[in-house]
Amino acid sequence: MTIECEKITTPYSNNLNRPILNNISCKIEQGEFVSLLGLNGAGKSTLLRSIVGLVPLEKGVIKVNGIAQNQKQKHRPDIAMLFQGGGLIRQLSAIENVLCGRLGSLSAWQTLWGFPKRDRRLALELLDRLGLKEHAYQKTAYLSGGQQQRVAIARALIQNPRILLADEPITGLDILAAKQVMETLAELHAQQGMTIVVVLHDLALAAAYAQRAIVLEAGRIIYDGKCHNLPEILQAG
Amino acid sequence: MMANAITYQKFCKLVKTEVKAMTKTFKTLTFKHPLLFKLVKQLLIVLAVIAVYAWALQGLQVDLKLLKDSWPYIVDFITRLWPPDLSILDIAIVRLIETIQMSIWGTTIGAILSLPLAVVSARNLAPRWLQFCANFLQNVVRSIPSIVLGLLFVAATGLGAPAGTLALGIYTIGYLAKFYQEAIESVDPRSIESLQVCGASWLQIAQYGILPQVLPLGLGYTLYMFEYNIRAASVLGVVGAGGIGFELVNYIKGFEYNKATTMMLVLLVVVTAIDALSSKLRQRLEASYRFTHKNK
Repeated sequence: MTIECEKITTPYSNNLNRPILNNISCKIEQGEFVSLLGLNGAGKSTLLRSIVGLVPLEKGVIKVNGIAQNQKQKHRPDIAMLFQGGGLIRQLSAIENVLCGRLGSLSAWQTLWGFPKRDRRLALELLDRLGLKEHAYQKTAYLSGGQQQRVAIARALIQNPRILLADEPITGLDILAAKQVMETLAELHAQQGMTIVVVLHDLALAAAYAQRAIVLEAGRIIYDGKCHNLPEILQAG
Repeated sequence: MMANAITYQKFCKLVKTEVKAMTKTFKTLTFKHPLLFKLVKQLLIVLAVIAVYAWALQGLQVDLKLLKDSWPYIVDFITRLWPPDLSILDIAIVRLIETIQMSIWGTTIGAILSLPLAVVSARNLAPRWLQFCANFLQNVVRSIPSIVLGLLFVAATGLGAPAGTLALGIYTIGYLAKFYQEAIESVDPRSIESLQVCGASWLQIAQYGILPQVLPLGLGYTLYMFEYNIRAASVLGVVGAGGIGFELVNYIKGFEYNKATTMMLVLLVVVTAIDALSSKLRQRLEASYRFTHKNK
């Protein structure tokens, strides 16, 4: 399963005096671990958001497995996304948040009175795998930042995706929690061959976990290649 | 015609020159004398506030002499209210229970009808044309006084509590729909996007994304409205729409002021008790809302 971005340009941003993404082309192959790097406002998050249809495109096309995506549709069955801070419903319990990942596969009538038992069992299994079984019925607002991000990972995994996009998943987390989240992503990549695209700010973390780095600046790709010696490459650039 | 055109052109030119001169003075004040500019600005604000109050007072046409002369009448009225006639305490309690019942059902009907109206009024959920129509409907409901609604339902269902309950229900929509709308608009947009990406339908987003986030705040608003409706129900009694107000007006009209005092005292006790209880509940709900929204 590949993601291809062909000359994508987003609408003009008055704040930046330019389109956030400006004629970007890249191809991400199945099973790659890619880190997106760049300064604030470079367009990293917008690139991820446009891949899942949250940002409209002015020009260009995004293809998933060779099929051009309709930007008006915000659900891509094989792609899951982790949002900065988790994007969880803080008033719901951890298990309910994980179950929300199943909403796309069930009709509104099927979920009106709750979720099927099979899905609840699966959600519990996922929380157990991520070391959160004892917090399953706790409100997410009461969990730590790292635990919340792992609940978000469980919500993404229940969708059974082949591609996982993560928008700054470790921002605001302490070193230990950040390491735990990155290890989980690396495990998913190594054991399940899942494609991981993660927005990071830390070059060392990118070099430690990702195979490929895409560096953005002012809405354009300025580097696309291996993660080794990133500081030197960027300084030379 | 020609002469008029020339005069108009001269007038335009004059206005332009004046505006230019004023802009220049304004710029000089702003940049060269910032302290003076701040002082002038504050003085102008104070003058504007005084002017608004003077205008409002002039509209009231207050006669200070009449106010002074009416004082003995006010004292006489208050003196005749005392002591309360406790022989009608049982009637007062029955009417009070009816008022609470009216408020419970009126608030519930209003809350149920407000929810869909708030959803279609919310900036982050509904298309612009629907928002406009729903907001207009809210404004229409809000601009009808409760007493007019009371009269309308008395005409439709006759004297008594059902008319008052329906009037309260409609009156409640005007306010609760607005409160709910604001609560919906303050929902974390990222959490909604995350559900969209999961493939949730509009109804599922409302059930699992919006409702849990809005519930604590919405319940707090509903409790406040319930408390307010007990007082509003007393006013509706004036037009025969049931509740304690109906008896209260009848006693005042019949010059039975001591009985009216009993009614008012009973109402005071209940309003104070409900206010204390709902304040406590609202505080707990708001605390839970604040906790779940901090560090977002």
